[in-house]
Amino acid sequence: MRFQVVDWIILFLYLGLSVFVGLWVKKYVENMEGYFVAGRRVKIALGSATLIATEIGIVTFMYLGEIGYVTGFSCFVLGITGLIGFIVIGKTGFVISGLRRLKVMTIPEYYELRYSRGVRLIGGIVLFFAGVLNMGIFLRMDGIFLTETMGFSSDVLTPVMVIMLLIVISYTVLGGMFSVIVTDFLQFVILTFGMLTATVFVVLEVDLTSIADAVTQGMGEEGVNPFVNPKFGWTFIIWMLVASICTSALYQPVASKSFASENPEAGRKLFLVAGLTLAGRYMIPMFWGVAALALFGPDLSPTMAMPKLLGTVVPSGFLGLMIAGMLAASMSTYSAYMLAWSSVAARDIIPPLLCKEMGERTTMHTSRIISILIGIFILVFGLWYELPATAFQYIAITGAMYSAGAFGCVAFGLYWKKANIVGAYTSLILGAVAPLAFLVLSQIKNVIPESFHFLIDVNVSGFLSFLLAALGMIAGSLFTQRAYPPRHLQPQE
Amino acid sequence: MTSATLFWLVLFGLSAALFFVTAAVITVVGVRDLKDLLRKTEMTK
Repeated sequence: MRFQVVDWIILFLYLGLSVFVGLWVKKYVENMEGYFVAGRRVKIALGSATLIATEIGIVTFMYLGEIGYVTGFSCFVLGITGLIGFIVIGKTGFVISGLRRLKVMTIPEYYELRYSRGVRLIGGIVLFFAGVLNMGIFLRMDGIFLTETMGFSSDVLTPVMVIMLLIVISYTVLGGMFSVIVTDFLQFVILTFGMLTATVFVVLEVDLTSIADAVTQGMGEEGVNPFVNPKFGWTFIIWMLVASICTSALYQPVASKSFASENPEAGRKLFLVAGLTLAGRYMIPMFWGVAALALFGPDLSPTMAMPKLLGTVVPSGFLGLMIAGMLAASMSTYSAYMLAWSSVAARDIIPPLLCKEMGERTTMHTSRIISILIGIFILVFGLWYELPATAFQYIAITGAMYSAGAFGCVAFGLYWKKANIVGAYTSLILGAVAPLAFLVLSQIKNVIPESFHFLIDVNVSGFLSFLLAALGMIAGSLFTQRAYPPRHLQPQE
Repeated sequence: MTSATLFWLVLFGLSAALFFVTAAVITVVGVRDLKDLLRKTEMTK
């Protein structure tokens, strides 16, 4: 058994520390602004740490490790496109500075300020369901990772994951964004140590020359040139670059960290600092995946290869530290997502449906109840629901359904004076059409004419969703300027 | 080892180093930010 008593002690010390810190901080929550955006007093370094911790989870390591195992060094280009996206947002404040100036707590809140309550409700519903479904696969990925690295069956690990989730739910529900930010900071430090531990032992145990040889001999040019690799190519790389710039700041769990910052300048700069780490935090797990290819060869299940490598090369004692780091990465992601989606439901969906405003206390209690329900959903969906083979594709495309419409409504709303309510509805609907067509047509691709096959290319579908959302906003607004004159907003500071 | 694999390995090394150095700076400055956040919140209660 790889995971020894000393590893268990380290793991439970970390979990105990998380409980203590998460619950200790709840005394600082005095009102709704404290609960949802930590009183908007977060400075750049703390905001960057919490943003990075949110973006790194076991599911991220698994996906990036898998792509490293399958595509070699070519996938490192994704670290470069992501870095460019964050740096552009960090330097220009694209979208995020405008939203922070308006002092919104959720992105759909902007829809009501700029368009109407109906747009807020539709945007909130799409965002909530796409976001919660997106979380569904996280716990399952955690389970696969822990099984391979710790060497236990799922019977032993299910209680560990249930305990982890209960801890996250308890401090997120009680302390809101305050608990999320403080525990994120602790988890950021521990996950960095975990990543450092894993990387050091991988480099010590797997020779760099053998890693290079495994890629060149096993994959040839495709392993080192992303432009000729069939999984990437020019269209995919350009699509990733566009998506990275357009949508990185439009995802509620990420944007909420900027909304909690002390001013719009800090809200912009934390993307710059987090961007400096982006290439590294993508390439490190990708490198683990490539090292797994060198150590085990190409015949393992791509999902299992990277965790199997870490379980093999990291010795007892350090393994406990690494697993604590990995759980820290996941817990910080769960807490941010849970708070983000419950705040969207409590602020953007339920009040418009009830046709009345809710008080601060009621909104916070509603958010807490929804957080618990999301936690139960993750547990049931992640541990006991058998995912179909195309689940990842399905979840990626539901993400595109939300982000294309959000890009149309927010970016045009902030930077184009003629954007109006008709344009917003058209953008939200058309942004969802191409991904929805992809989802349906890919199921019946054998019976559709050859001329429609371009619609089941995921890159084309992604491009189209953004193009249609933008065109929908422009055409919808221009044709209805007189009937629905646009609203203009004044920043609150 | 070809020049292409060397390029990616060097890029990985630089990116990983930048990640860990930035993380160390964020940690040091973040502790100060965290104390400041809790102090200001305590004062307004």
